[in-house]
Amino acid sequence: MTNMDFSFLLEGYYIQIFLRGLGMTLLLAVMSVMLGTMLGIIPALMRLSKNKVFQLIATAYVELIRGTPILVQVLLIYSFFRMPVTLVFGIDLSSFIPGMLALLINSSAYVSEVIRGGINAVDKGQTEAAESLGMSKKQTMVKIIMPQAVKNILPALGNEFVTMIKETSIFMYLGIAELMYSAIIVRTSTYAVKESYVIAAVLYFLLTFPTSKLMAYFERRMKRADAR
Amino acid sequence: MQMLDNSIKIVELTKTFKDGTVAVDHVNLELKSGEVTVIIGPSGSGKSTLLRMLNLIETPTSGSVLYGEFDIMGKGFDIQKHRQNIGMVFQSFNLFPHLTVLDNLNVGQTTVLRRTTEAATEISRDLLKQVGLIEKEKNYPAQLSGGQKQRIAIARALSMHPSVMLFDEPTSALDPEMIGEVLNVMRTLAKAGMTMVVVTHEMGFAKEFGDHIIVMDQGKVIEEGRPEIIFEKPTNARTKEFLKRVIEKI
Ligand SMILES: Nc1ncnc2c1ncn2[C@@H]1O[C@H](COP(=O)(O)OP(=O)(O)O)[C@@H](O)[C@H]1O
Ligand SMILES: [Mg+2]
Repeated sequence: MTNMDFSFLLEGYYIQIFLRGLGMTLLLAVMSVMLGTMLGIIPALMRLSKNKVFQLIATAYVELIRGTPILVQVLLIYSFFRMPVTLVFGIDLSSFIPGMLALLINSSAYVSEVIRGGINAVDKGQTEAAESLGMSKKQTMVKIIMPQAVKNILPALGNEFVTMIKETSIFMYLGIAELMYSAIIVRTSTYAVKESYVIAAVLYFLLTFPTSKLMAYFERRMKRADAR
Repeated sequence: MQMLDNSIKIVELTKTFKDGTVAVDHVNLELKSGEVTVIIGPSGSGKSTLLRMLNLIETPTSGSVLYGEFDIMGKGFDIQKHRQNIGMVFQSFNLFPHLTVLDNLNVGQTTVLRRTTEAATEISRDLLKQVGLIEKEKNYPAQLSGGQKQRIAIARALSMHPSVMLFDEPTSALDPEMIGEVLNVMRTLAKAGMTMVVVTHEMGFAKEFGDHIIVMDQGKVIEEGRPEIIFEKPTNARTKEFLKRVIEKI
């Protein structure tokens, strides 16, 4: 802990690098959770369906992804999707797209379990009541089950978002300028090794901690709204 | 109301659950149109399972259910459409907690019958007046008492204009002082000639409004007939024992 020197931060250039990294990390996390949620609905509904083949495929997908490290997934997909370097707004799409793909696939597996759990947690009597009115399975899902399941799903999605913020750090292996990669750049040009990592850690925490608190707040509010 | 004949014929109906429990065991019954059939019997005797097979919320293992001449498990029979014709009221209400009272009554009409919200609302408000809860239309189910919830649940079932109503212990989850308000609504329906099948422990209701009493035990119908026969001169020893226990509890 002795002799740490943050004086290099006085140079706006390094602050800028960190802030860009922070922005990229946030973008990656937001996109992976949003797209992962959309993609995650598919295996969730497949596992809930009565079709055994669907169940099997979806279960295999979820378990395979949850049972392997995200780093392996990212590197695997990256090595399969070789594309020429394409710069858009200073982002190299040839590493961004495969990386993004890996992240959203990973996220979809976790989110699909969240969605499935949220749907299963809705009382079976709700389905029975809806179907006894003559509603189809689809109408029951859309009008009765989903609006109730969302209340179970949203808080867990918040947790997934916090997880994803942290997971994006593996993107530094692809040379995508997210927060961790920025720390490496600063480290290399300033030789301030400990300091760079400390700043990265602080910035990650500044993202995740308020997010967790915000999610907890919304969860409490939703619970209160339920008891109205 | 797609059919005028609301008689229900139950033939060799059986339900064996996955764990091997035989909940309903080769039951044969005829329930007449316009009558109130009351099913009684000890807990676990298969009353709910039998009732739930009448709209295929529970799938029978074997046997058949005929409404008029239609086998509801027959090929090409549209059970989803048929369910509009059969209202169901549950012991635990099963109101939709995310919807207001009015929307609980509207949702079936707008999604299944494709009524406009205005048309549905008009019908719903009439029903809310009938069950005495028009002032609660903007409330959510969590804001209602048990008795009010069950009255809303009955109104919700009626919103589809069913010609048969199934009740599964509609007053069992209620505090004693709320049972009367629910039974009153059911009385009005019975007087209006609704075909009803009611699982209940309310022997008062059964005696007064039951046209046909069915006694179940261990998945089988052990005795059936007019209430004055079943309650005054039961022949089956287990019926006698059951009635004695129910009366002692009161
Ligand atoms: N989903 C189920 N799976 C397995 N057994 C069940 C299920 N539902 C009911 N049963 C069993 O079937 C029997 C009849 O139950 P039920 O129809 O609920 O009786 P009742 O309504 O007369 O109390 C009981 O032994 C009960 O434990
Ligand atoms: Mg029961």
